[in-house]
Amino acid sequence: MWAAAAVGSGIFVLLGYFIDYEIILTLRLILMRWSVLLAAVALFLGLFNLLTVHWSKVSEQEKGWPFSALLILVFLVTLIMGLVFGPDNQISLLLFNYIQLPIEASLMALLAVFLAVAGFRLVSRRRDPFSLIFVVVALFVLLGTGPSLGASDSDAYILLRQLRNWIAQVWASGGARGILLGVALGAGLTGLRVLLAVDRPYGD
Amino acid sequence: MLGSIDIVGLLVLLLFLGLLLGFAAVGRNWPTVFRPVPGFEELGTAIERAVEAGERVHLSLGTGSVIGSDSAPALAGLAMLSRVASVTTMSDKPVVVTAGDGAMTMLAQETLRSAYQQAKVGERYRRTSGRMLGPTPLSYVASLPILIANEDVSVHILAGSFGAEGALAADFGERQHAFVIAGTDDAQSQALLYATAEYPMIGEEIFAGGAYLNVGPLHRASLRAQDAVRMLIVVLILTGTVLRALGVIL
Amino acid sequence: MADVRCPMCSKSNPEDAEVCGVCGARLKPLVIDQPPQEQPPGQAEEPRTEQGAEQEEGLDWLGRIRTEAESEVPDDEIEPEETTDEAVSPDWLGRLREVDITADEGPPDGEVPDWLSAFSEDVGEVGEPEGEEQEWLDRIREKKETEAAEGEKEAEPVDDWLARLREDEELVPESLGADEITPEEFPLPAEIPAEEEVEEQVISPIEPMDISIEPSEAAPLEVVEDEEAPPKPIDVLPEPTEVAPPAVPSDVELPSEVEGEVEEVDARVDEFETPIEDELPHVPALILDEEAIGEQTPDLDLDSIQLPGWLNELRETTPQEEVPAEDVSQDLAPATLPSWLEAMRPVETFRSVVEIESMDEQVVESAGPLAGLQGVLMAEPVVAIPRSATVGAARLEVTERQYAQAELLHRIVEEEDQERPAATVRRIRLPFLRWVIGFLLVIAVLLPTVLSFKNGEGFPLPSYMPRDLGTLFSVVEEIPPERPVLTVFDYTPGYAGELNTVAGPLLEHIILRGLKVVTVSTQPTGSPLAEGLLSRVGVNGENYVHLGYLSGGSTAVQLFTAAPRETISMGFLLPDDMQSQSGWQSPILQDVLQLSDFSLIVVITASTDSARAWVEQAYPWKGETPLVMVLSVGTEPLIRPYYEALEPQVDGILTGLPAAVTYEQYLGRSGDALALWNAFGAGMLTVELILLAGVIYGAAIWLARPRTVETRSEHND
Repeated sequence: MWAAAAVGSGIFVLLGYFIDYEIILTLRLILMRWSVLLAAVALFLGLFNLLTVHWSKVSEQEKGWPFSALLILVFLVTLIMGLVFGPDNQISLLLFNYIQLPIEASLMALLAVFLAVAGFRLVSRRRDPFSLIFVVVALFVLLGTGPSLGASDSDAYILLRQLRNWIAQVWASGGARGILLGVALGAGLTGLRVLLAVDRPYGD
Repeated sequence: MLGSIDIVGLLVLLLFLGLLLGFAAVGRNWPTVFRPVPGFEELGTAIERAVEAGERVHLSLGTGSVIGSDSAPALAGLAMLSRVASVTTMSDKPVVVTAGDGAMTMLAQETLRSAYQQAKVGERYRRTSGRMLGPTPLSYVASLPILIANEDVSVHILAGSFGAEGALAADFGERQHAFVIAGTDDAQSQALLYATAEYPMIGEEIFAGGAYLNVGPLHRASLRAQDAVRMLIVVLILTGTVLRALGVIL
Repeated sequence: MADVRCPMCSKSNPEDAEVCGVCGARLKPLVIDQPPQEQPPGQAEEPRTEQGAEQEEGLDWLGRIRTEAESEVPDDEIEPEETTDEAVSPDWLGRLREVDITADEGPPDGEVPDWLSAFSEDVGEVGEPEGEEQEWLDRIREKKETEAAEGEKEAEPVDDWLARLREDEELVPESLGADEITPEEFPLPAEIPAEEEVEEQVISPIEPMDISIEPSEAAPLEVVEDEEAPPKPIDVLPEPTEVAPPAVPSDVELPSEVEGEVEEVDARVDEFETPIEDELPHVPALILDEEAIGEQTPDLDLDSIQLPGWLNELRETTPQEEVPAEDVSQDLAPATLPSWLEAMRPVETFRSVVEIESMDEQVVESAGPLAGLQGVLMAEPVVAIPRSATVGAARLEVTERQYAQAELLHRIVEEEDQERPAATVRRIRLPFLRWVIGFLLVIAVLLPTVLSFKNGEGFPLPSYMPRDLGTLFSVVEEIPPERPVLTVFDYTPGYAGELNTVAGPLLEHIILRGLKVVTVSTQPTGSPLAEGLLSRVGVNGENYVHLGYLSGGSTAVQLFTAAPRETISMGFLLPDDMQSQSGWQSPILQDVLQLSDFSLIVVITASTDSARAWVEQAYPWKGETPLVMVLSVGTEPLIRPYYEALEPQVDGILTGLPAAVTYEQYLGRSGDALALWNAFGAGMLTVELILLAGVIYGAAIWLARPRTVETRSEHND
């Protein structure tokens, strides 16, 4: 039954892209709006799952349970404040601007460190020509993107910028488009498998 | 009233469908030979080793949502999950699935439940095996080190939609000396995963996971259909380029 | 025809089966008594000469045991015993029939050789065998006849004591039937060792058996001087040695039935290594064929057997059991069983196939804790019964995977024998590399800030405007000011550091032109980020308004581009005078009904999917409204084709800090981009140096190490 519902709704939405028929378009819009609602509801279910997992860690005193307890506490406080005062409340914005924003920005900064470390070890770990090409190309792109060590209108810097643009706009762009095409093919066939009920992520 | 019909789109759709079903029909008489992908070849051994050592396999479905184009790699990850779960159902530490989206988490739970039921060990299924770690990408990734350390993860599979945070996720697995295989649909993220993951999946290799892990015959057929359409696109691109160079097509 | 149950697996087998069809165990144990079928062809019907034949039988069975143990010849290939007309049974065998059946153990009364004299007082008369015993004896005899018909067994060399047997043999009265032997006709051996080690042949002491000897047909006892000699028959008592089988006195003739039983035992014993001098007395095995029950085994003059003292005491204390006598032609008294032995009687189903010899023929155990006892179950023949593999086991189908797994297991087992160096204690590796690189990057970024480089100091500023920036600048300059600008904040807080800096000059330019900004986001955190960025350059409610969060991802983008007012109805951080109202009620949006009513669409994102979704979904609905994008550096290559296409769907791109610095320079304003320029340059330079060092380090390792099979290096943090 669930497979029939999934297949049926998928077919209507798909046909709505190709057939400009009023009933099909209307049904497609309805189904898409329902999917948006369901995604929002699923967000709540996911948060409930998050609470459940951490609550079980606290109740069973598993390793790291104090952090789980802290998570539950902060979650509840933020939820209550958002429900009571609204998401655009000054306190909520305070929490966002001074806790969430710095933390996520810091994680992204850590990414820069991790990528630098990964770049340093890449050639020594993989020891294949492609790894060497990868790092060398990254080096040239960085040289062409960053500030010039000398005059910004020097021939070397201009050459580096042109090299960088050529790498980014020709090779990277072309390769990325090829990857995108392949990804689109894979995504399309993955969706077809779901429509044919071959893959049933919703369960049997 | 019947309006316009995108004939080209419908034809492309029918082409996909026909190739998929056709390759599935001839699959038995025309066995598929795939090029070796080191990650998938080592994945089976790594999972077996993890099961024997009493360690856990972790599969991440990424931070993409169910609705939207970023759901495709996660669906491919769910297909891999069904296979991985079937192998680890009787392990002391079965597979754990995480996602950054609530709906994707629910799909992961249902996939796990089906796998356990197919293995006739439905009583061993735990709903907490499928978890949502965080609603945002970085909050999701921030929870990964804790999970990897506490759950004794030795196989770290990233199969879903990742942004730059995917590199962080892969690096966390590498720091725990886990077997890391990572794939996503975003080309930028793939470049980052190439540098940080032990076995990166480049291009659409993530969509080939189902075929390489023998999820089913239609997975192999879909991979062959992908290859066929890809070759068709290559031919069309080359033809258009030549014609454009010759001035035939403006 | 009654089925025979296998003693090992308890499966039913045909009555005439020699071995079990399921497990391959022998059904008819070897017994001393030589059934008529084991006689060589042509002689099967001849009546046996008692003494001579029985002696030869007695010698033959030993030889057969030995030979069969060496060659592992199946039962049906056992050569029959050679019989001679002149074989003479030993004297002591004649006394076997005189064994009192009421006695638990010991040889019957009668002429007892010296070595058996010690047992004479402890042995009763052997009673008449029961019907079952008659049957199993018959079966043994038949089996021997069959074996005799299939071949001949070479006579084994004879030991001394066997030679003495022939010298001192007494003729068994010819009047005795084929299945009968009386103790008085077979005198016991002259010598009976104090402690003999009798071969653990199975002869149940439970049922008394009539042992009949046909000397004329029986083969002489064959003894081989060989370490692999088979066990001696029960009526051949060991010589007085430490590990000596019972010596057969010269005047003792082996009854045919005993020899026949011995042959059955021969077939089962494969690896009996006791030399002939140390041969243990052969105790006939359990006769598992019901037909053999009733076959009469030669009486054993238990009185002449020298038993240990404690055994004698046991005999005196244990009650003598009356054993009902079988209707046999022999005048042998059935053996009696002590109560403790009776308690050891097998269960009914097993008993039905167990052929128990009479006490007279039962060999005295000469080894182990049961030394001196008669009727002890002899495990060795049962254990040593070769079992052939079943049919199913031969058909083993091995798949490739199983073969590979078997090979793996074999390797693992082999590796277990290999010595391995002790596992070194795993050192805790500190992530020095991460620390060093992180420290360098922090220093590189902080130093310019600490040193407070002024504008123009530090890294040189960009001196030319990129082509893309020029186009974008023109687009912003040409948009009409009366219509608002839709700005999409589709990035997470992690990218705020880059995108806030890059998008800042553009938004400032828009605000400076007097354009109103309307924000929307498909990320929950997009609206707070928009407020943080726009609050620096404008006033909420006057210069900008937030429509809020657009849930649904790319699906919501499609819905919004098609019908903006129907898709999002709330607002975010609306001015005080607009509380509990929709953002669409703001004066900024009063003339906006659809997407094309906006003057400009700006998409600020770090995600390729989000950028593509807005480009592809907005293009059909935006009309003439230009669409520009502020992108992260990594996203630019994938979106540039939309910008450089023949029919571009993107009208302007702003990406990277250098472009933002140039934009600020063009605006003539100093913003965050200029403030971060030197730190940006220092950080980039540091990363470049780190990558270069990594390449040099990797190349050096690559060139320096020998060309061996490369494995993944350890994490060297």
